[in-house]
Amino acid sequence: MKILLIEDETELAKDIQQYITDNGGICELAPALAPASDKIYNYEYDCILLDLMLPDGDGFELLDQLREMGKTEGVIIISAKNALETRIEGFNLGADDYLIKPFHLSELMVRIQALIRRKKFNGNNLVTFNEIEIDILAKTVNINKREVALTRKEFDLLIYLIGNKGKVLSKSAIAEHLSGDMADMLDNHDFVYAHVKNLKNKLKKAQTKDYIKTVYGLGYKWNPYE
Amino acid sequence: MNKKRLLNISSRHYLKFLTATLILLLPVFYVVVDKLYSIDIKDTLIMRRDEFLKFNAPTFTEDNVSFWNEFNRDVKIIEGHKVKQDSIFHTHFYDELSNENEPYLALYSPIAIEGKPYTYFTRIDLVEATDLVLTLSVLFCLAIVMLISGLFFITRRLSRRVWLPFYDILNKIEHFELDKTALPEFAKSNIVEFTRLSRAVEKLMNKNTRIYHSQKEFIENAAHELQTPVAILKTKTDILLQDPDITEEQAKTIKILDDTVNRMERLNKNLLLLSKIDNDTFFTIKEVVVNDIITKNLEFFTEQARNKDLTINTDLNQILIIKSNPDLTEIFLNNLFMNAIRHNIPQGVINIAISKCKIIFSNTGDEKINSDKLFKRFSKLNPPRHGTGLGLSIVKKIADLNNWTIDYNFSNQEHSFIVSMNS
Repeated sequence: MKILLIEDETELAKDIQQYITDNGGICELAPALAPASDKIYNYEYDCILLDLMLPDGDGFELLDQLREMGKTEGVIIISAKNALETRIEGFNLGADDYLIKPFHLSELMVRIQALIRRKKFNGNNLVTFNEIEIDILAKTVNINKREVALTRKEFDLLIYLIGNKGKVLSKSAIAEHLSGDMADMLDNHDFVYAHVKNLKNKLKKAQTKDYIKTVYGLGYKWNPYE
Repeated sequence: MNKKRLLNISSRHYLKFLTATLILLLPVFYVVVDKLYSIDIKDTLIMRRDEFLKFNAPTFTEDNVSFWNEFNRDVKIIEGHKVKQDSIFHTHFYDELSNENEPYLALYSPIAIEGKPYTYFTRIDLVEATDLVLTLSVLFCLAIVMLISGLFFITRRLSRRVWLPFYDILNKIEHFELDKTALPEFAKSNIVEFTRLSRAVEKLMNKNTRIYHSQKEFIENAAHELQTPVAILKTKTDILLQDPDITEEQAKTIKILDDTVNRMERLNKNLLLLSKIDNDTFFTIKEVVVNDIITKNLEFFTEQARNKDLTINTDLNQILIIKSNPDLTEIFLNNLFMNAIRHNIPQGVINIAISKCKIIFSNTGDEKINSDKLFKRFSKLNPPRHGTGLGLSIVKKIADLNNWTIDYNFSNQEHSFIVSMNS
């Protein structure tokens, strides 16, 4: 998983880089448009994370360049601009996803993974973790070759946890992920507990290891036992 | 204090002046004319006598007296000296024609005819004189009334024209709204005071608009600029969470940090939304089915309501279709829904009822909210943990933008927000 991060805010870039590296990826950084074009010209990436407001121009210019070069890398725009028009323009210019700042690193992680899966395994969108096998398109989960019925929220939660394996995910991050567009309306994160508990029970019934760990006071973690 | 219109004040003064002039001048005029006329009559009486003495007396004989008296009604020669010298009297004589006593002015003058004493008597009927004086007075009155009313109407019309720029300025100030209308253009006037007034008003409006805009801009810029630090804080917290050596004490602090960052993020987003509604004059308008939005988000809110153990009842049998911006309408409804959860009591109830032109959110609650403060920014009665204090002011802004009316009332321990969307 090779990722190019185009972001001028050093602190933010550092954290994103670290999080991706911790998850077994490679993340290169370009703090402006010019070095970014160089890198895109010379190397291949699985995914490009693109900030829109850069010191030497608008991130949209890079989308044009990518198209001209005939590159098919997946692009996720990460921007503080959340106007609908900006988002639509981004998608029209060939971006695959749009993540509004501020965001949780865990959210960015699962978005990158989903994009790479879509790009690389056309039609065969599978996530496997030890005895767990998830078909993203069919929305089915098989554990030890037997199907386990999960609700939509539990399904999302499972992918989210596995996608950020080994990482502590705060309740607020999980709540925001599960709420999607409604995240801004969140009043409390207590409902996360119910979904985690239900998922835990279903996994336990299907005789998996106890992957989901509660990190006291903070949130939850998918413990990969490596 | 009773309010008067500017133009009426001068008119009223004209009217007072007119009445006073009439009341004062009329008797004076009457007396003067009357006096002049009676002097004139006296002169006439004396002239008649003098004419008689000059033209008739030298040839007049005693025999002529009865003949004279027979043909003259108003001039008689009476035997003997009735008076010692010329005397003029006001007196009454019986008039056979009109069959009543009429006022006369009479002259008695001692004369001699053929050496014998006689009295020359002549009189003038005053009834005609009084008529004349009256007619003159009425004419005089008419003249004054016409003069003053003419003056009155001319001044009124003139003032109206003169004050026109003033009313124009007044009208423009009345219709000026800092956050909505553009700066008005004042018509040029050739009157110094009005030019000064319009300039002063223009300056005031300009300055206020500038301040208002810079304040709005400041809020928007501040919110925009805050996004990056908030983003950094959020990712730093994510990174901090991953430290395997965190103590329980530290974990608590990180949890508070995480919650606070989230609250800050939401606050910022809401401020941005408020300034977007303020600044954007154009929002795409589509047909929106209110029922669909409620149904779509019902699951989310049911989940949010679970920890307070609330019951949500919806009455969505009637369909409410409106024309508005779909995103803003959803934000509007979501905020009201969230509000009903946030300001509810444990095991409370939320009722959402839709009719053809209205949607009503009602929920159980403890106490009435002061409706003055209800839609103000950051005016929270008892600050909830996650609320930003902006929810209801966003609701109000969106309602104003769409000309929806929101009524709030509290009865039977229940808050109700009644939104009329189709008028």
